[in-house]
Amino acid sequence: MKINFKKKITVKMLLSLISLDVLETLVHFCFKKSVLPEGDFYVSNLSDLAVFLKSAFFTPYLWLGFLSVLIIFIMWSTVLSKIDLSVAVPVCSFSYLLVPIVSIVFLGERVTMLRWVGIFFILAGVIFVSFSSQEKELSQP
Amino acid sequence: MKDGMAFILFLIAVSSSFDTISQVILKSAINELKFSPSLNLVKIFGFIFRLIAIPRIWISFCVSFLSLCVWLFVLSKTDLNLAFSLDSVHYIFIAFASRMVLKEKVGLKRWVGTFLIVVGIILVTLS
Repeated sequence: MKINFKKKITVKMLLSLISLDVLETLVHFCFKKSVLPEGDFYVSNLSDLAVFLKSAFFTPYLWLGFLSVLIIFIMWSTVLSKIDLSVAVPVCSFSYLLVPIVSIVFLGERVTMLRWVGIFFILAGVIFVSFSSQEKELSQP
Repeated sequence: MKDGMAFILFLIAVSSSFDTISQVILKSAINELKFSPSLNLVKIFGFIFRLIAIPRIWISFCVSFLSLCVWLFVLSKTDLNLAFSLDSVHYIFIAFASRMVLKEKVGLKRWVGTFLIVVGIILVTLS
């Protein structure tokens, strides 16, 4: 297997990756929005769950979320054919920072200092995991 | 740790496990097809058709749908930023699943990364 590392990041590529970050954040924001009125919903059996899901599926937010998932899937496949995974994933994992920011600004949630520290650990971990994609490819015949 | 946090953690773990199962099935099915990356639309559609003809892909889709249902329920009960951070637990599950089921090699860097994620998750949970 010929290994060809594509590492050079062009401006166009960077913009695609940033839009992927934004879209990823949008997906989770939409999903959260779709179930926001159901915060006090108490599910004790399966039919409750059906009612719960039904009302979520009838919000436009959930479908906007699905649409974003589809766009992400198409964009991500295109991006990955042009650039190495170990480069793409770190740039794309900034949604780990974007999601809390969006939660604070648009959902009025609160993020404590300790949580930010935790988020940075997770971010560092994700970046490490993605760098190891080279390790794996190199070790395979 | 707040009341009900254990339950939320459990549900996030369930959702992530479903997610991991679906990814592992998807990956094993894709491995079987031996597809080389291409931008040719005809090839891509051909690939997708061959993929959905594999029965276990549908199990993967179903599991993935279950994961979404649990995920929506989690989101209704908790803050988005908490749930999203904790969802990174699937990196850990996937590391173990690819090691055990798909027999992939998991290198040192990946274990370090996985460990950092574990630390991050513990900190987020305690916050």
